[in-house]
Amino acid sequence: MDSFFSHTLAAILTIGIISFLYKDNPLYKFCESLFIGVSAGYWFVQQYYANLLPKLFDNLGITRMLGAENVPEGALQKLFLHGEWSEDLLYLIAGILGVMMLLRLVSRIGWISRWPMAFIVGSISGLYFITYFQSNAMRQMQNTILPLNSFNNLVLIVGTVTGIIYFYFSKEHKGLFGAAARVGVYFLMVTFGASFGYTVMSRMSLLIGRVDFLFGTWLGLVK
Amino acid sequence: MRRQIPLIITFIVGSVLIISVFIPHKPFGQLGENFSVYFDIIAVFAFILGAGNLLRVHGNRIYRKHKDWPYSVVTVAGFTVMMIAGLFKIGGSPGITGDLTEPGSMFEELYMYVFTPLMATMFALLAFFVASASHRAFRAKNKEATVLLLAAFVILLGRTPFGVKLTSWLPDPLSFLEIPNLASWIMSVPNMAGQRAIMVGIALGVIAMALRVILGVERTYLGADSE
Amino acid sequence: MKTFSYSFIFYCLLGLILLATTDGLAQVESSDSLLSPLLPPSEVIAEDHPGDAGGAIIVRWKLSPDEDKGITGYEILRSASPTAEFSSVGFAATGANRYVDANTEDSLTYYYKVVAIDADRNASESEISPPVRSSPQWFNFHLLNLLIIGGLICGAVIYFIAHAKKGKKFFLRKIAGLEAVDEAIGRATEMGRPILFIPGILDMDDVQTIAGITILGRVAKTIAQYETKLNVPTSRSIVMSTAMETVKEAYISAGRADAYSDDFVHYVTDEQFGYVAAVDGIMVREKPATCFYIGAFFAESLIMAETGNSIGAIQIAGTAMPAQLPFFVAACDYTLIGEELFAASAYLSGEPKQLGSLKGQDVGKIIAMLAIVIGALLETFFAISGSSFFGSLAELVHKLFSIVAS
Repeated sequence: MDSFFSHTLAAILTIGIISFLYKDNPLYKFCESLFIGVSAGYWFVQQYYANLLPKLFDNLGITRMLGAENVPEGALQKLFLHGEWSEDLLYLIAGILGVMMLLRLVSRIGWISRWPMAFIVGSISGLYFITYFQSNAMRQMQNTILPLNSFNNLVLIVGTVTGIIYFYFSKEHKGLFGAAARVGVYFLMVTFGASFGYTVMSRMSLLIGRVDFLFGTWLGLVK
Repeated sequence: MRRQIPLIITFIVGSVLIISVFIPHKPFGQLGENFSVYFDIIAVFAFILGAGNLLRVHGNRIYRKHKDWPYSVVTVAGFTVMMIAGLFKIGGSPGITGDLTEPGSMFEELYMYVFTPLMATMFALLAFFVASASHRAFRAKNKEATVLLLAAFVILLGRTPFGVKLTSWLPDPLSFLEIPNLASWIMSVPNMAGQRAIMVGIALGVIAMALRVILGVERTYLGADSE
Repeated sequence: MKTFSYSFIFYCLLGLILLATTDGLAQVESSDSLLSPLLPPSEVIAEDHPGDAGGAIIVRWKLSPDEDKGITGYEILRSASPTAEFSSVGFAATGANRYVDANTEDSLTYYYKVVAIDADRNASESEISPPVRSSPQWFNFHLLNLLIIGGLICGAVIYFIAHAKKGKKFFLRKIAGLEAVDEAIGRATEMGRPILFIPGILDMDDVQTIAGITILGRVAKTIAQYETKLNVPTSRSIVMSTAMETVKEAYISAGRADAYSDDFVHYVTDEQFGYVAAVDGIMVREKPATCFYIGAFFAESLIMAETGNSIGAIQIAGTAMPAQLPFFVAACDYTLIGEELFAASAYLSGEPKQLGSLKGQDVGKIIAMLAIVIGALLETFFAISGSSFFGSLAELVHKLFSIVAS
């Protein structure tokens, strides 16, 4: 694409999105609609080439069957041509589950699409069970077991314990327990404030980047 | 039976994956990795449903001359052009093994001059929204909001030259009160304490929810109410 | 006088000769040391890497005594036989006394040697290690602590679920965001405006999205009863399919199957900012009275929440993304923080079994708090007294919560 044309197109789209800050308008609606369509198409193509093609079609040998001679033999070729078992044959399970998802469109047997959903939810629950427990619970607890011989360690331990007390569900926040929970709330507020303050400057730099494009790259007013 | 089989699948798959963490021997040790790949493959098949839904919704709007139907034409056209440009690698090296993002290809050009500016500008809008959120948050209507406000201010100032100059005059015994030092302390001590409390809570929440799902106590995701 | 002078000169000369000789001897000594061989590492032991699926061997050795005399590292050599040629499999830095060879075959026997190397490429080989074979294990004993503590917490959750089945009731404190759900839905009904539900930006392979969809099911049932319009734009296709099933069943179980429409849930785009552009468009055009943001979010959270504020909607958010919580807390009316997101579905259901699981979560919190407090006290006593008794106990508590890197 010609450089001036492409930069002008990018500038118009940039201004269109920024115009949303004033109010909803036809240019923003156009940019929004274009963004939805182009991005949906982009991700579909990406997923096809990054996931479906290499992980299913290449591994099973379907790509080679379709004429791509430079792709190595897949599991189906190994099984039917050489009588060898390959672990890649298990990707057939994923293919079958994927086809089951599509059966949603057939109302009489649409109920079968719950099987891949059950598979996904079950596997994610099992996988995250241990991952979260190790990294979020065990590691954090281990790092908080510190001697109380310094002010920082004391603050860290008090903050962590009172923060956990705040999240306690089965006891009313009253009396000493309630007071501890209130201390926990203050620590959480400090955490939120710190995250907020930390992020503000980085958000500003994003805007600086777009302003630089508009006034520098496109209009050439800033060098 | 139709409702029982999905619950059995969830139970078996979930339990096996939990147990497989403790069993390094094949095939258990690799199950987690394999199942992640299976998910990626299923997601691409599901995308056909998503794309179909997108085309159906916008197609309906065009057909019924909905209020903003011309914009639906833009969406459908953008989606179709991008998909064709990518799947058939127009303007680049064709064939299954050709490079999708080859410079000069239509897919690459659309990505550079349409997709990227739109994405970058939406991201840049955050600067405005963070300013309006700050304005609301910093009105400090109660003690909690005051604490949030003070912590945010100190961290914000601590990362700027102005913040450094503001308290550089403090004598050495009081140097811990200098804004950059205070900001560093807040990040590494009380902020860390709060983060750890949140993370421990999240881990316990995930464990309980995962158990409810695996044991079939929670079934809403299957479109079935719990018993 | 002359005698003194000659003696003086003689002794000076003797002194000079002695000085020169000593200096020379020193130089000879140091050049001797340059000529002496580098001392090799010793006690090389190779053993099967524990807790894995095979294919790895750990090689350990005692450092070369010349460690602080210019050794730059150690080369690990391997062979299938003590008499065959050894080939290099890797390097370890100076000071390191172990190496993991992760390219072994379980059916073969291996022998190892470790070679100390200095900057001048002088090398000194160790003795050959005893033979070793790698093998897979059926249980990873390094994760025994995880099994014990995880088992305790799971046991507590299952125990309280079982107890709840028998009719035992548990007290649960109120969570403001969840108490407000009915009020928020009622508000939308009164104003005749729709309800917007955003189930997060990630796919069903994130546990927060699963939590979001289960909450959608609960909220949709109430919405069905109020006959309010629902709009659920989704960013992922699997989420769209799951949400459709969930909402449809919620309407059926509320006895309002006739009011359900497939248009309630629709796919937008996988692209994060394309999705939020569409959501913003929905907000400013349809002006929903209530917005729910329940699931995993990234930077787009603030854009959505601020746009929701600008249209005057009640906003209830819930996420376990620590980086986005501050923005939801600042911009939304109610925020479910971290764990509250995962508890929300149980809360909203009101079912004893679900609520029982929350009690089990609390047992986990008690374990966490006790571990931290007891561990901290033991560490403090050890730091003050230096007693090995407290030191051992503190180390035990640390080990109980340690995670071994794989």
